[in-house]
Amino acid sequence: MENSNISYELEAVREDCLRPTHKWGLVTKIWLGCLFAVAAWGLFAFIFQLRHGLGSTAMRNYVSWGLYISTFVFFIGISHSGTLVSAILRITKQEWRRPITRSAELLTFVSLLFGGIMPIIDLGRPDRLLNLVIYGRVQSPLLWDVISICTYFTGSTVFLFLPMIPDMALCRDRLIICDTKFKKFRKWLYTFLALGWTGTKNQWHILEKVMTVMTIVIIPVAVSVHTVVSYIFAMTLRPGWDSTVFGPYFVAGALYSGSAGVILGMAFFRKAYHLEKYITPRHFDLMGRIVLALTLIYAYLNLNEYWIPAYKMATHEGFLLKDLFFGSYSGVFWTLQFGSVLLPIIIMANPKGRQILPLSITCIIIVIGAWIKRYIIVVPTLLHPYMPIQEVPADWSSYFPNWVEWSVTMGCLSGIFIVITLFSKLFPMMAVWEVEEGVEIEHDRKAILEIKNKREAEKRLRTEASVN
Amino acid sequence: MKKENESTNENRRKFLKLGLLAGGTLAVGVAGLEKVLSKEEHSGMDKTVMGNDGKMYKTNSKNLKECCSAPVSNEEARKGIEGKKFVMVFDLSKCDGCKKCTDACQEMHFTELDREWIKVFKMKDSETTAPYYLPKPCFHCDNPPCTKVCPVNATFKRQDGIVLIDNERCIGCRMCMAACPYSTRFFNWSHPVQTPEVAAMKYSPEQGYPRRMGTVEKCDFCPDMLRQGKMPACVSGCPMNVIYFGDQNEDAVTNSSGVTLKLSQLLEDNAGYRLLEDLGTEPRVYYLPPKNRKYPKPEMNSGEKNGHKHKEMDMGNMMM
Amino acid sequence: MKTYKIIFRSIALTLSLIVICLVCSTAQNQNEPKEKMNTSIQISFHKNSELSKMIAVKITAKTKDNKREPAQNAHVNFYAQNNVGQKNIGTCITNNEGKAEMVLSKDLPIDTGMSYHIVAKIENDEMYNNSDEEIHFKEANISVKLNATDTNRIVTATVMALGNDGKEKPVKDIAVKFYIKRMFGIMPAAEDNVLNTDENGIAAFNYPKEIPGGSTGSIIVIAKIEDNEVFGTVEANSEVKWGNVIASEKNPFPRALWEPYAPPSLILVFVILFGGVWSTYLYIFYNMFKIKKDKGLEQRELEEMIKQ
Repeated sequence: MENSNISYELEAVREDCLRPTHKWGLVTKIWLGCLFAVAAWGLFAFIFQLRHGLGSTAMRNYVSWGLYISTFVFFIGISHSGTLVSAILRITKQEWRRPITRSAELLTFVSLLFGGIMPIIDLGRPDRLLNLVIYGRVQSPLLWDVISICTYFTGSTVFLFLPMIPDMALCRDRLIICDTKFKKFRKWLYTFLALGWTGTKNQWHILEKVMTVMTIVIIPVAVSVHTVVSYIFAMTLRPGWDSTVFGPYFVAGALYSGSAGVILGMAFFRKAYHLEKYITPRHFDLMGRIVLALTLIYAYLNLNEYWIPAYKMATHEGFLLKDLFFGSYSGVFWTLQFGSVLLPIIIMANPKGRQILPLSITCIIIVIGAWIKRYIIVVPTLLHPYMPIQEVPADWSSYFPNWVEWSVTMGCLSGIFIVITLFSKLFPMMAVWEVEEGVEIEHDRKAILEIKNKREAEKRLRTEASVN
Repeated sequence: MKKENESTNENRRKFLKLGLLAGGTLAVGVAGLEKVLSKEEHSGMDKTVMGNDGKMYKTNSKNLKECCSAPVSNEEARKGIEGKKFVMVFDLSKCDGCKKCTDACQEMHFTELDREWIKVFKMKDSETTAPYYLPKPCFHCDNPPCTKVCPVNATFKRQDGIVLIDNERCIGCRMCMAACPYSTRFFNWSHPVQTPEVAAMKYSPEQGYPRRMGTVEKCDFCPDMLRQGKMPACVSGCPMNVIYFGDQNEDAVTNSSGVTLKLSQLLEDNAGYRLLEDLGTEPRVYYLPPKNRKYPKPEMNSGEKNGHKHKEMDMGNMMM
Repeated sequence: MKTYKIIFRSIALTLSLIVICLVCSTAQNQNEPKEKMNTSIQISFHKNSELSKMIAVKITAKTKDNKREPAQNAHVNFYAQNNVGQKNIGTCITNNEGKAEMVLSKDLPIDTGMSYHIVAKIENDEMYNNSDEEIHFKEANISVKLNATDTNRIVTATVMALGNDGKEKPVKDIAVKFYIKRMFGIMPAAEDNVLNTDENGIAAFNYPKEIPGGSTGSIIVIAKIEDNEVFGTVEANSEVKWGNVIASEKNPFPRALWEPYAPPSLILVFVILFGGVWSTYLYIFYNMFKIKKDKGLEQRELEEMIKQ
């Protein structure tokens, strides 16, 4: 009786996970259509930029890094989501992670992919990209960036792929009975990706061993990636970037914005694919607590980054800080500090604030705030160099991204959404075997508890009988 | 009779139309041609020079340069001139902010006019200290932040102390521009504006031209002139004898009038210093403080005293 | 019909006349003759170490708004004058700094008192009005000798000139300046580098210590008479190995953060980190391969069970 119950449950899990992969509704088509349109426009803008040079953007000699580099840092920051949720929760053996690991890992993969493309878009001579390999200098923070992002990208691809192997086998086996589009292609894809998985004990053993190794390795890689990204700023002698706390500051910012991104992914897939049974409000509450903790850590580092130089008001840092606190950037700066750091803390500290809707809205604020914060880190510092900006053409002394930069950035963002959508249409968005495992563990736990209660009840009856 | 009148009327109209049309086109055409012919080209005047055959030739000064030797190879450009360590000294008490150094440099390197490889700043270090003119080239630092961060070794330091850029290797990441604390580097954001003659020249890192889009450029201490024993364009072009240039190994620097002084003595007697010394970049350019200045101090607008509100470059007066 | 034809033709003619006038006026504008400028000539005589003699002129012109500018492209004629007459010895054109140099040949006509008389004239120049300037000078010879004793190093400059009788006589009480040749110019050999010759025409100068020389320590010492009224500018030099040797750099491109090659410690850290992570990846790829190969195992296990 219990066995058949559990097999029904497991079958339900599989059905729920796999259903989205064979349904292409109208909404999906419209969604994808819009995304492709934006991506195509972004591509057109990029080709325009290739023909006319970076001068077609708003960047000039003082603000030589603008929206592209800010977005690059932001995307790499978001990529810390998968590592956090999957690896750290796996290591700490948190059972509730099971339905959300895949979407978190996917978010990492995709944001790394497009984050890695952003610096290439920002290059003056992308045709000379191979010079990085041929003439690379190990002393350059930019080369460390390239290497660590490639390493993290490989690692997160593997980390995404490994738990997918049993699911690929499941998809491959089920393909015969379900009615979907592109059957031949899918058959080839699932078979190829399943690596001949048949679920033998040996295979499970290898998989678990490798997953453990990967979980352990990916955490320091992820920390090093964002630290190295911060080095392209911190290794320069500019007031505002010449700070010793940049490494931890960027990692904390990445974790906080990445985990907010995971919540948004959870909310989206829950709604879109009707996974309400698996991704419960309890998941949101727990993830909300994690985001709260990370936001507090980020707020602490943020405070250090600004209060320490503000106390001293050294000459050139003073110019920059006055501009941020009271000058042209003050509106944005204070809105960010209160709106995207303090306000989320207040909301998430309240259990009611960790319900699905308020939490999702808070996370949208956090993610957008994190993006704008990266811009605030990059651009005002470049407008306050040591040498005064004097007698230069008007467009050199101010910066706001123009249509080319917006188009290419929005194109990349829609590229992220396209890859996520297509992925979720091909592969299950929850790790089926992990959720099944979770169901079995829960079932076993309940069964053991029932047996325990039964025995205790019998014991009590016997002792009462013997007394009587 | 009527028919004849009609036909003549028609012919008349035809003739008038044709005539007016022809006359109008002629007038417009000539006016247009005149405009085209009188369009001024890049600055440069007619010069008469003697060719190698002893005959006199008329040419445009843009085609003439102080030195026209063949540029050295990339490997030689990366090594530099052996046994030399070039330094530059600016005597700020003599600088009157005329910017002739900037003009000489821009003419020598065919630079676009918004790019000042040597830039004359009006500095006022604080509210109570005096304003002064500060010409700033690239300092060719001995602990250069720019060469440290270049990922492809496109900017490099040579054994004679000069830091150059190889625009055939630069990938345009602009990390060096972010790293330089003296705002010395410029980027070729769009297609470079250069004449076909310049664009056809053979590239060498020692010349800095022809330029390539998407690469970085900066003051290079004119190494092609140094190989010929001539001083950089800004040094010779300074009418106030502000700029001294020389070899630190020889302990001597020379200015545009040929006055040669012992470098160590000059710095000691005049309390020479370097800009932003505390950053540890070890610049190769020294400044002699503007004591007993010969020329009036610069006018600073109120915003400039804080260092960051400034007058914009007058692009209208420039021919680009 | 005829009247209209006439009217049309006259209109066409007037139009073309107007057009032609426009063209001519613009052409004329370009061919307007320029006003000639007045010039002033500065003339001097130079004799350098290679014993070549020349006359240098620096010409400035006064522009319309009374500014003094270097006179470029001015044709200057040089004449040697003596009691016989004027002889044309050459023509020069000034460069864009208004300077020109005329090299003098050895057989220059001599004027009275063993001196030379050269006249520089601007005549029939397109841009400049006629003007002239003259110079009288005598020729002097300097010879530089270097003596090193145990304690001192002395540079001796002897100045001789042809006397009226045609014989060489020492020139006394003439200021001689001592310089050291540097890469871009000549440096005064000491703060006080001017000495007057004694009655034998000799000026003896103490060579200062501690002057850097090249890689061989060689120094070129220059003795110069500058802008003398009679002799002009005369220069002579001598090379000696009294300079401090500048040792060539053993390793001009050491391993450093800013050099092409990194310090070994950085490379080591890099290899450890990068190698460590990627070897882990390789281990994982190997295991993934093992998973793929493992697919037949369950079949084999079943078969074995059936056998038993």
